[in-house]
Amino acid sequence: MAEVRDAHEDILFAPIELTGPGFYWAVAGLSVLILWGAIAYGVQFTQGLGVTGLDQPVSWGFYVTNFVFFIGISHAGTLISAILRLSKAEWRRPITRMAEVITCMVIFIGAGQILVDLGRPDRMMNVLLHGRYQSPLLWDATSISAYLTASLTYLYLPMIPDIAILRDRLGKRKLLYSVLALGWTGTEYQQKVLNRAIAIMAVLVIPIAISVHSVVSFVFSMTLQPAWHSTIFGPYFVVGAIFSGIAGLIVTMIIFRKAYGLHYYLKPIHFRYLGQLLLIMALLWFYFTFAEYLTGYYGAEPEELKVFWSKFTGPFWPFFWSMVLCNFVVPLVCLASLKQHTVGKVLIASLFIVVGMWLERFIIVVPTLSFPRLPFPVGVYWPTWVEWGETAGSLALFALFYLLFTKFFPIISIWEIREGREHSVREVEERILSYLPGEVEEKT
Amino acid sequence: MEHPPEISQRLVRRLQWIWLGGAFLLVGGIIVWIIHLIVASWRLDDVIQASVGISIVAIPIFLVFIGVVFYVFWGVALHGGKSED
Amino acid sequence: MALWGMVIDLDRCTGCQACVMACKAENNVPAVGADEAKRGRVISWMQVLTETDEEHHASKTRFIPRPCLQCDDPPCTKVCPVYATYRNPEGIVAQIYARCIGCRFCMAACPYNAKYFNWYSYQKEAPGQNPDVSLREKGVVEKCTFCHHRLQKARERALVEKREFDPLEYVPACAEACPAKAIVFGDLADPASEVAQLARSPRAFKLQEELGTKPKVIYLTEGEGGG
Repeated sequence: MAEVRDAHEDILFAPIELTGPGFYWAVAGLSVLILWGAIAYGVQFTQGLGVTGLDQPVSWGFYVTNFVFFIGISHAGTLISAILRLSKAEWRRPITRMAEVITCMVIFIGAGQILVDLGRPDRMMNVLLHGRYQSPLLWDATSISAYLTASLTYLYLPMIPDIAILRDRLGKRKLLYSVLALGWTGTEYQQKVLNRAIAIMAVLVIPIAISVHSVVSFVFSMTLQPAWHSTIFGPYFVVGAIFSGIAGLIVTMIIFRKAYGLHYYLKPIHFRYLGQLLLIMALLWFYFTFAEYLTGYYGAEPEELKVFWSKFTGPFWPFFWSMVLCNFVVPLVCLASLKQHTVGKVLIASLFIVVGMWLERFIIVVPTLSFPRLPFPVGVYWPTWVEWGETAGSLALFALFYLLFTKFFPIISIWEIREGREHSVREVEERILSYLPGEVEEKT
Repeated sequence: MEHPPEISQRLVRRLQWIWLGGAFLLVGGIIVWIIHLIVASWRLDDVIQASVGISIVAIPIFLVFIGVVFYVFWGVALHGGKSED
Repeated sequence: MALWGMVIDLDRCTGCQACVMACKAENNVPAVGADEAKRGRVISWMQVLTETDEEHHASKTRFIPRPCLQCDDPPCTKVCPVYATYRNPEGIVAQIYARCIGCRFCMAACPYNAKYFNWYSYQKEAPGQNPDVSLREKGVVEKCTFCHHRLQKARERALVEKREFDPLEYVPACAEACPAKAIVFGDLADPASEVAQLARSPRAFKLQEELGTKPKVIYLTEGEGGG
């Protein structure tokens, strides 16, 4: 079939074909933050974890919070992309690639946080050589490996037709694109193979994604500590991950929509639907949070109450109530009505949620450790410049990876947009007709 | 559009096989690792149920991955060139 | 097989912390310095906790010497990812510095906060240290080991002298140092041993027993059991 050369499509190739000053400024800015993070880690590596604010008993702080946070953000991609594909939601077409790239990049950053947290990172091979599967950290290692492998596959497969387009269109990097395109020519047979493979991966990726954040939560819930040893943690963390993931996705979409001028492809309707999903997740998150704290409060077990009150009125109240504001109040206000100023409202809500979900992880990790069961003095935790630097550097590193990806591959799935134009209208019409009352046709 | 010097198809095909081999190595390596940990926990008499339990779920998943990757490679790269429309 | 345990009589404990000092000297526990201590990083394998009575703040304080409780179902060993801490057949929960990757999961899991971390390389080669106990670098977890090196030495001495090993020869530094004889140590599996008999006392209780950790440090409450 003849390829309709859409003039608007040029904008999807623009980041790959051209590089403007904006890119270099962005790279420079990110590099400064990454340098800060690298220096911070260098100091920590040579001197020891003593350069952080960690102490006895608060021996986990920013790094573990970041770990949970980044792995949470990773649920943006595969989960959204897979669920939207499987539920045949046509509005997913310009979104899936962006989402899948987030997942792949951020998993590395998330896993890296644990390595940064180790007292002896030079011994990280011990986990491979001498791992114990009774430890939730090994469950983490396995499920994150599975998730990474699945996400990379799930990112790569739908990229194949786009890489073939690049191979045929561009002059540069021909070898790279030729190899990765696997000889794609768009035949019906190839389409069938690819669609089947993507469908299998979409189904497989969902339980893996759910297992990843459940297993991350098990690191806490498998201990006996008050406010950690709770059966709700698995589902709670998964819901929180999807929540923060969608917010992260929206922020990324809006940034690149502005930077690359993708307004033709990323329309307010996409943000409206994502905003509605975000609202649902905000309500769901609130429900889980409410159930968790009500249970602790009503049971009134002394150790749990100590931690409970420390969050509600005690030393952690600014973080706790900021979290409620960011994750519940602001999203509800912004997302209740999305008819007007859709993109603006959704952006504000998402930014607040990203911050709020980081606070939520912090509120889970630190207060429990600060209030030991035995009569120790209450733990105090003040993060140092090392931990701030590491956090900033990690975020910047993720942003840099993402930015570099957009320079090599289209950030919006070109062939899926074309497929949507050429086939989907008819398919959706047929599908809707099949729902409406009528004679059931014999299958010919 | 000017055409740059033709890329050798043999080179491309060889690199694609290496690409596939890399995927096999990665997934195969992970499976070998999991089995190594099962053996270690058996040798050290330390809660082998955990290792076996996890491997029963994890290893089939990785096998499915490598199956899908190979299926795509076979379907797209090896057979796809045929003229069908 | 021996099952090493300890009974601490809270009625005898005066809070003098001789056990703490003896432990630090015996096990080369580093003095972290005033700055680090202010940041909450003191390493104290044996630590004396103070518990003030809720009703009688001014008059009643309880001193609880807390070594590692050497649990029989340790929450810390379950979560270690690399076999750096495990319970040996004689009931001692070992800590292998050479294997530890410093993830601090065991620290997060211990309900007694018995595990400590080397945030810097606190220890340096210095004269007067106990050559039987290895020094720990930065980045690893350490804890009370019931002076396990003393058990090894006692066993070796018995072997060399071609005689049976007598459990009474093995005494951790804290038990040896206590001037009030509040700490009794021995083989809980031997019903005739002093430890086993005291452990059966009506005054005996275990810290956080409801958590199911099965600690092998048993406390004797003050007075007639009224506390």
